[in-house]
Amino acid sequence: MQRGRMLVVAGTVILAALVAGTTTTLAQRPGSNRAPQQQSYSGNVRYDGKFVFVRMSYAWSGGRGAPWAHDWPVGEEHFLKILTSISNVDAHVDASSIMHFSDPELFKFPVAYLVEPGYWYMSQDDVTNLRAYLLKGGFLIVDDFPYRTGGRIDTWGNFEEQMSRVFPEGKWVELTDASHPIFHSFFEVNSLDIVPMAYNLGDKPRFMALFEDNDPKKRMLCIANYQNDLSEFWEFSEEGRYLVQDSNEAYKVGVNQFIYGITH
Amino acid sequence: MWLTAAIVAAGALYALWTYRQVAALQGRDRVVLLATRVGLFAVVLFGLLRPMLLLKVAVPQQNFVGILLDDSRSMQVADHNDKPRGSFTTDEFGSANAPLLAALGKRFNLRIFRFSSNAERLQYANDLKFEGTATRLGDALDRARAELSGLPVAGMVVVTDGSDNADRTIDESIAGLKAAGMPVFPVGVGKERLTRDIQVTRVETPRLALRGAALVLDAVVTQVGYAGQKVNLVVEDNGRVVGTQQVVLPGDGESQTVKVRLKTSDVGPRTFQFSIAPQPGEEVAQNNKRDALIDVVNRREKVLYLEGEPRPEPKFVRQATDKDDNLQVVLLQRTAEATVSAPDKFLRLGVDDKDELLGGFPAKREDLYKYKSIILGTVEASAFTPEQQRMLEDFVDIRGGGLLALGGPRSFSEGGWAGTPLGDALPVVLDRGSRGPQYPPAELLVKPTRTGVSHPSTQITDQADAALDKWRDLPTVTSLNPLREAKPGANVLLTGVDERGREQSVMAAQRYGRGKTIVLTPQDTWLWRMHQKMDVKDPTFHNFWQRLVRWLVDGVPDRVSITPTPARVQKGEPVSLSAEVLDKEFKGVNDGRVTAQITSPSGKTEDVPMEWTVEHDGEYRARFTPAEDGLYKVSVGGLTGKGEDVGRGTASLRVAPSDNEYFDAAMRAPLLQRLADETEGRFYRAKDVSQLPEAITYSGKGITMVEERELWDMPVMLVMLLGFMGGEWLYRRRRGLA
Repeated sequence: MQRGRMLVVAGTVILAALVAGTTTTLAQRPGSNRAPQQQSYSGNVRYDGKFVFVRMSYAWSGGRGAPWAHDWPVGEEHFLKILTSISNVDAHVDASSIMHFSDPELFKFPVAYLVEPGYWYMSQDDVTNLRAYLLKGGFLIVDDFPYRTGGRIDTWGNFEEQMSRVFPEGKWVELTDASHPIFHSFFEVNSLDIVPMAYNLGDKPRFMALFEDNDPKKRMLCIANYQNDLSEFWEFSEEGRYLVQDSNEAYKVGVNQFIYGITH
Repeated sequence: MWLTAAIVAAGALYALWTYRQVAALQGRDRVVLLATRVGLFAVVLFGLLRPMLLLKVAVPQQNFVGILLDDSRSMQVADHNDKPRGSFTTDEFGSANAPLLAALGKRFNLRIFRFSSNAERLQYANDLKFEGTATRLGDALDRARAELSGLPVAGMVVVTDGSDNADRTIDESIAGLKAAGMPVFPVGVGKERLTRDIQVTRVETPRLALRGAALVLDAVVTQVGYAGQKVNLVVEDNGRVVGTQQVVLPGDGESQTVKVRLKTSDVGPRTFQFSIAPQPGEEVAQNNKRDALIDVVNRREKVLYLEGEPRPEPKFVRQATDKDDNLQVVLLQRTAEATVSAPDKFLRLGVDDKDELLGGFPAKREDLYKYKSIILGTVEASAFTPEQQRMLEDFVDIRGGGLLALGGPRSFSEGGWAGTPLGDALPVVLDRGSRGPQYPPAELLVKPTRTGVSHPSTQITDQADAALDKWRDLPTVTSLNPLREAKPGANVLLTGVDERGREQSVMAAQRYGRGKTIVLTPQDTWLWRMHQKMDVKDPTFHNFWQRLVRWLVDGVPDRVSITPTPARVQKGEPVSLSAEVLDKEFKGVNDGRVTAQITSPSGKTEDVPMEWTVEHDGEYRARFTPAEDGLYKVSVGGLTGKGEDVGRGTASLRVAPSDNEYFDAAMRAPLLQRLADETEGRFYRAKDVSQLPEAITYSGKGITMVEERELWDMPVMLVMLLGFMGGEWLYRRRRGLA
């Protein structure tokens, strides 16, 4: 516990330093002045054994920025700097990747990050690939997950429908307390009450999990940060839009989830 | 005197006459005629001197002869004129009228013994059954010598095939016979070399194996008469076939080592039988099979996996090993490095209790030595104190554990391990001048070496034939640690070829002290599981890691280990129990009170105190003699001098009639020849045995009398005389010199 507190403090200091000196290398990617529409990039980080932040993309035909790119690229950039400062994850800090679910390269990166699942739709190839990815040992983090999307769409309903194509037998389990190892893989998060909600995403932040063989004692395949938007805190942690304490908690939950994905 | 003078004079005249006759001749004529004359003179001179031969002859019926008849199973082998070897014994010794027995009986008092695993007096060979399960020739000679001591003995006849399989040589017995002046006349029965035989000569199996272990065992097959023929070597576990390997038989008299794969399943002492079906015309079918006892245990072997950073390799390794009920891989994964105000931060997975590894890597030997093996992930040498670095080496060298070092940015030279105690223990040469990991890493297509193909740690499929194809199909992995030089004693098991076609060692292993060290250089073998081309149900990655870790813990000693010698005995034969008892730091306990509890097949238990041998630290010995056929269980435990429990170790012992008699079943003439030569006797083969009684008569031993024999009137003298004269006459006639 003492160690955990010390790290949080250290993280806060580092966060302040990051906020002051952030450079957005990702933003220099071609077309990055707008939210990207493509599903995969030739500029993705070539696999070399180091950890890479992989954001999942999906088809989007709307006129504005693609929802899968919300908080991109600053969200992951800030997050990676915190992750590598606070832990010794050997990661690419100045670059990240964007992949679609049918990309064979995805299998070289055991943790994937998906946002705005209310707009998410997968092709059959995507479904097949995602199932194989998760069953073999991949881990999917779903974030930026309001209870309604665009004020109309039942976000959970759409997400559950897509995931039911991947795991027709799958049963979602809500983590009602912080006893699961995913809340302790790096920081000791002992209460879910500390998890902040950036704006009106629903009644309270909830954590839904899918387990191997639907057995909560086995490996978690996917964590859905329902009614959460952790990356919102990551993205704007340099602007002072949210309390430093809330941003810290969002980082802690995120770091735990990524380290859980790497190690479990 | 006058006779000598006359002979000298006659000789001189003869020489002069001869010289004159041949002086005019030249070349060959001169040499031939001179030779015939000299020869003639020599024969005449030899006869005139009336030489005598003095012989020591055994006095009839005053001496004793011991007759030792081999009553072992090998005498059933039918290679004596296509009849069992034992038929010679019964034909020649089976009754009072049997030829050899009768011939010997006319001259000597006979004492007949049968022998196999023991020796005893016998009336006639008709009482022989040829069912003895061992041949202890030395013991038999000692017994007969003891029984005949004090009597006038002219010699000992030993009728045998010489297939001595005692655990001691006959040197001492020979020395005793020489001292007692008893010559031995061995009679060898059977062929000195079989013409058609296949033999499973040896099988090398572990004494202990985990349940579900995929074993690769060496079986040595020898043969004569079937070179190039294909046969199947079948392995059965208590009657159930668990493995088959086709064998192309080697050349006549040559041995071939066959790698046999099998998987253990049922727990407990299991008798595995390795056999080749008897082939048409085989002379000895009983040596086509070998039994091996393996204690299959169902326990979890604990392995410490230390990883220096959060990376996916341990996650996938644990997914593989967690599916194996007999492995417990405890992960200590560093997630943050020490700062000025905080020590290293670790994630602990698979621990038994909340305190295990709480302080990180163990600081005391007794804590580290609780694990059977260590997997060292990518962690730099400077993460350890100098003492911890020595502990890592001692873990292998003294504790006898297995240590597997994995590749990564902080591994090997790149992690500063060159020149450290562990660096010295690893099977590869580490470069001291490394500048750290170089990106991008080499992409390696991995394949097994010739040794690696059959090594138990690299078995990614259950079928050997499918393995090579599977290796070719596996996706590439990456390495930041270019290891190109293996140490002299190391086996390179896997190599990798990079995108430029350069080859480097990927996996190498060596024995180091009591344990073993292995390196595996890829940083991401998990791609063999996760890669897009690998099917979800593909077991390759799990097979690889389960078998690698099983091999890592295989043979790692416990604090108490027991070795029965021999490992298989017959009822009534003594067994030597040797136990090694170690303390928590794996140093020998010399002041212990150690007891072996022996449980017989019928459930009777007996406590046998064990004594420290003094010769080696921690070594205790005891002997016991099993009285029942079946499996004995031996459990050793005790207390140190300070009263601390040393734990327990168990072993099984199979008590059953032996098949050893049928192995290397050809008649061993060299052994019998040596026995005869060193005791001043004579070795006979069965077909020459008619000369035996006379040979013993003239052995010069026992009560003898001197027999004089005139040599001048031997027929050979006349023949030589006429030969020289006739030869000269014929030569002269042909050359026209008459």
